[in-house]
Amino acid sequence: MTIAATATIAPKRRRRLDLNASLVVGLVLTLGFLAVAVVSFVWLPSNPNIPVIKNRMLPPFLPDHWLGTDGLGRDIIAQLMVGARTSILVGAGGASIALFLGTITGLVAAAYGKLADETISRGADIMLSIPGMVTALVLAATMGSGALTTILALSAFFTPSFTRVIRAAAMSVLQEDFITSARLYGRGKLFILARHVIPNIGGVMIVQFTLYFAAGILTEAGLSYLGVGVTRPSISWGMMLNEAQQTVGISSPLAIWPGLAIVFVVLGLNLLGDGLRDVLDPKLKQRRA
Amino acid sequence: MTPPLSPGAPAIEVKDLVVTNGDVTAVRGVSFSIPAGGRMGLVGESGSGKSMTALALMGLLPMGWHTHGEVLHDGADLAKLSDKALSSRRGRTLSMVFQDPLSSLNPVRRVGDQISWVIRHHTGADRKTAEAQTLELLRSMNLPRPENLVRAYPHEISGGQRQRIMIAMALACYPQLIIADEPTTALDVTVQKQVLRLLNSAVAERNSALLMITHDLPIIAAMCDTVAVMYAGRIVEMGPVQEVFRHPRHHYTRGLLDSQPTMDNIALDGSSRLVSIPGMVPPLHDLPSGCAFNLRCPAATDKCRTDMPELGGETSLKSACWHPIARADEVAAQ
Amino acid sequence: MNVTPFPGEVRPLLEVRQLNQEYFLRRQKLFEPRPILKVLQNIDFAVRRGEAVGVVGESGSGKTTLTRMLTGVEKPHDGQVLYDGTDVWSGTDAERKTFRRSVQVVLQNPRSSLDPRMRVGTSLLEPLRSLKIEGDHAARVHEVLDQVGLSKSALQRFPHEFSGGQLQRIAIARALMPGPKVLIADEPVSALDVSIQAQVLNLLKDLVRDLGLGLVFIAHDLSVVAYTTSKVYVMSSGKIVEVGRPLDLFRAPKADATQNLVAAILSVENGLSGEAFA
Repeated sequence: MTIAATATIAPKRRRRLDLNASLVVGLVLTLGFLAVAVVSFVWLPSNPNIPVIKNRMLPPFLPDHWLGTDGLGRDIIAQLMVGARTSILVGAGGASIALFLGTITGLVAAAYGKLADETISRGADIMLSIPGMVTALVLAATMGSGALTTILALSAFFTPSFTRVIRAAAMSVLQEDFITSARLYGRGKLFILARHVIPNIGGVMIVQFTLYFAAGILTEAGLSYLGVGVTRPSISWGMMLNEAQQTVGISSPLAIWPGLAIVFVVLGLNLLGDGLRDVLDPKLKQRRA
Repeated sequence: MTPPLSPGAPAIEVKDLVVTNGDVTAVRGVSFSIPAGGRMGLVGESGSGKSMTALALMGLLPMGWHTHGEVLHDGADLAKLSDKALSSRRGRTLSMVFQDPLSSLNPVRRVGDQISWVIRHHTGADRKTAEAQTLELLRSMNLPRPENLVRAYPHEISGGQRQRIMIAMALACYPQLIIADEPTTALDVTVQKQVLRLLNSAVAERNSALLMITHDLPIIAAMCDTVAVMYAGRIVEMGPVQEVFRHPRHHYTRGLLDSQPTMDNIALDGSSRLVSIPGMVPPLHDLPSGCAFNLRCPAATDKCRTDMPELGGETSLKSACWHPIARADEVAAQ
Repeated sequence: MNVTPFPGEVRPLLEVRQLNQEYFLRRQKLFEPRPILKVLQNIDFAVRRGEAVGVVGESGSGKTTLTRMLTGVEKPHDGQVLYDGTDVWSGTDAERKTFRRSVQVVLQNPRSSLDPRMRVGTSLLEPLRSLKIEGDHAARVHEVLDQVGLSKSALQRFPHEFSGGQLQRIAIARALMPGPKVLIADEPVSALDVSIQAQVLNLLKDLVRDLGLGLVFIAHDLSVVAYTTSKVYVMSSGKIVEVGRPLDLFRAPKADATQNLVAAILSVENGLSGEAFA
């Protein structure tokens, strides 16, 4: 429409950061979460793994244990902090591998002909039809439970959807005239993908990454809750939920803290993803005047 | 189908329309009136505010944009109506044809259904009657084999046919006013004329008024009685089409007319040269002071850079210029 | 624009002889051979130095396919594409290299022609880098900016900061960077506002005159082509149905397709006199 047209006729370069609520809140929550995990390497209120029986089941708001202690007297906050590390490791790890593999397969499917496209797309369809949890359980059974197994399981079921998203975004960019021009100037496919396609789908990649990071954290929590995720001395919020089961009748707050932690972090990452999408996309949409 | 206009009432009357979103003002005080059955053209390029004007009249502005001023139509001020009240008029007394029929028609519904829906929604007719009327409508649009066409999806038919269907939908309820926003720009040049010819006769048959919005001057010359030329959100010249196009007073209108390549001004040896207006349309958020056209006008003086001219003139042709182009007979008389 | 070629340069710069192209369509019935769509049939076409030639036709007439053949993007089923006398598809590597540099394209949609993530300066340098052209790249960029009338401040900016008309100028500048002898313009002004169209058309005419470029101007609007070129090929359904000078075609069109194109012309004059829909 007219306004989009006039908004692009800007003789001066104005950089206006479109801050929206989603982005700000998401950023705050995500950065907070990352900060907590980083801090956990240099300081913890007390040891999260050593049982201190005399302190078991302390209620929250005490000077030494602000959120109380669990069934074996271990500080909740310390456990949450160490648990944050696991969430990042597994969530980001899974999402990163999926991003890497998904981008490669998606780009190949978009740019290297029908056969490649059909093969990769059908492969992705097949992988997507296998429930993620099943993959995770099978992997845990064969390779043993732990962070690595969880990361592999997450990669396995995030990669195909990443492939789809990247393929669609790349195909849309490849339709544009500047790609034709690049080919006319003799640029090879690899150059075009690296120098022209990836920068133009970068926004999509970042947004998807944050969303899969969030999904990874949730899934990891679920797996650890089921007992196939990480085990002590590593700590995971899902594991904390599992342990809290044993004390549900006696003192319910134990399940709330890891639950809340998961909610806030996943919410933060999702909001960040949504906010980023709104900021990054309009600049690309504006050109359609 | 719609109650007839009270005699003498214009199909639409716009008074001091302003369309803004707080930061940018796209339409800066536009006034015009179209009599019942009349034809007005709105000429402008990108950034003139012409599309925003059309959307404002229909109540279809994007989020964040609002209007000031009055839009009098069908006995009400559209600018003050609730969306529900506006909704009952859209498609019935006031309708619009958009530029790209592929994105204006619902891609997942058959075209026949889309037209009969409009008829049923506004007239309460039952399905069978609406379907019969749809077929009749398609026949009157010279569309071949309407019985097959109604079952087609938008992507299965050609651009020209799609646009004719859009026109059919817009005219289905015999509106008092139909607004056409660049209706043929996306079409092939040979199809353009057919569609325009059809629009011309269909509008005449129904005695609807027409507001034709386009940057293509020949279309307005062929179809409209009056024309308003918009630049940077304001009307800079307005009057009967014969007057404005033969004896324009505003330099922008003159420039537009001179920019058109026609077979008459093409010399055999290729030495002809289109006189192009230098520079570009200023962005609406960064307009020059005074007359918005002063940066590109061959006749601009200091006054043009400080004072904004208003529409004025003693004849039926009004223009907003401090140094309007003199008519040949005026010059001769001096 | 000269209708007569430069003395001593009768040989066309870019030429196609008996060009044919066909595509296979999807099989309708299992055991029948796949139907063939003849997109181009026996096309003969040529453009010389300093000559501006138009190609008009409706969509589906084969104009776009012809463009792809002329730029060497698509190989014809039959027939030859010749640059400076040598066949583009069977020439040596050096000859292909010359061809790549000498024939450039400007496309219809200015907003799609440039990578939105690249600064204009980088986009302009791309052809020089990719075609490995020697010389002072920076100087060449400044030279071309002058030729198309753009200021140096454009180099640092991104495409979304420009209007359609300016982007089209940038696209023309980029096409001029390798110093081509032939410029193919595929509907270069269809997406632009009327007053900007005139600026771009004038620019193209000037380039033909000042640089001696051969211009191939493809469009569906006969008046625009008539203004810019001295010889027009009319295409319909993959064939060339008529060739002639624009005014001759307008006054005495012979082929049906030409008559349709002429009849489709709307001008302010015939609109005002009420003859538009006659």
